[in-house]
Amino acid sequence: MLKLYFLLFWEYLKIGIFALGGGYATLPFLYYLQSQYNWFTLDELTNMIAVSNITPGPIGINMATYTGYTTAGIIGSIVSTTAIILIPCTIVIIMTKLINKFKSCNWLQDIFTGLKPAACALLASIGLKLLYQNIVYSKIEWSFPVQINYQAIILFLILIIPFSFMKKNPLLIILAGAIGGVIIKSF
Amino acid sequence: MNNSFFEIFKIFFIIGIQLLGGGYVIVPLLKKYIVDEKKWMSEEELVDYYAMSQCLPGIIACNIATASGYRAKGVLGAITAILGIIVPPFLCILFLAKILTHIVDYPLIKNAFWGIRISVVILILLTIKEIWAKSVNSIFSYILFFIILICLLILPVSPTVIIILSAITSLTYCQIRRKNNA
Repeated sequence: MLKLYFLLFWEYLKIGIFALGGGYATLPFLYYLQSQYNWFTLDELTNMIAVSNITPGPIGINMATYTGYTTAGIIGSIVSTTAIILIPCTIVIIMTKLINKFKSCNWLQDIFTGLKPAACALLASIGLKLLYQNIVYSKIEWSFPVQINYQAIILFLILIIPFSFMKKNPLLIILAGAIGGVIIKSF
Repeated sequence: MNNSFFEIFKIFFIIGIQLLGGGYVIVPLLKKYIVDEKKWMSEEELVDYYAMSQCLPGIIACNIATASGYRAKGVLGAITAILGIIVPPFLCILFLAKILTHIVDYPLIKNAFWGIRISVVILILLTIKEIWAKSVNSIFSYILFFIILICLLILPVSPTVIIILSAITSLTYCQIRRKNNA
């Protein structure tokens, strides 16, 4: 058990350092954890993303708490949440002291020119993989033959068309998905 | 100016409860409570801290809370602020996680979560749409985006490796371009 806590701590420490650009940036890392350790299933992970979106608090923290709890109970959630904030917060404290030097530092901007599209691509790959996994029955990634889940495609189209014209509202999107799921599945 | 540790914890606890739907919401909340009410920092500092929080590793809301807490009362103030902002969501999640494991097998809840999973895909796609213009806006970034995306779809690469490699590529590319322009 102690070994699991250490592993959890180490993995979330890495997420804290390398997940740049907000809560959604932690998703590719959690997805990777899922494929490496099987601490939770892919469906569970997707449920956790939904719950983290509709609970107060930063999404990244919510995800860390939830995945930590699912993996190793309450102590697990304390370990993962502490690990994910430890290094970033230390860096922030140091940087707040040095903020004026930091403003004129051009190599940091240079690094970020490339990190932004990288973070975008990481998120896009998760979006595409989850889309694929939800609209076909095949459990193995990118394998053929596949059976297409028409109910899922219908719900996807019903939801994405109006919501892509609106300002992003996670609560409303998740609520609409839940209601849509119940209605479509009852046919 | 009342900035005892209890006061810092209380304010960040209140902000933590109101944080719904992602870290960006924290900026107007900090403006209201920290800048206007408590006057622990100026609006200009808030803007600086926000810019800084986006460029540093970590969750943006936590970073900016750390900086504001530090500004109010040093290192211990920063720790107090983080605790204040983390405790409410932490308890909420534990509570929900416990309930969900008990009810997730009911057909109605199962069907609702089947639909919610599709909502999550849409949320991710909409987030990409939101950050796209700020992130992928030059030939260099387009090339990088598509190379990484194709790599990720074919191979099980660790995101850590992707981040380190893109940082090195980008630094090299921008430094060479700077030298050529100079």
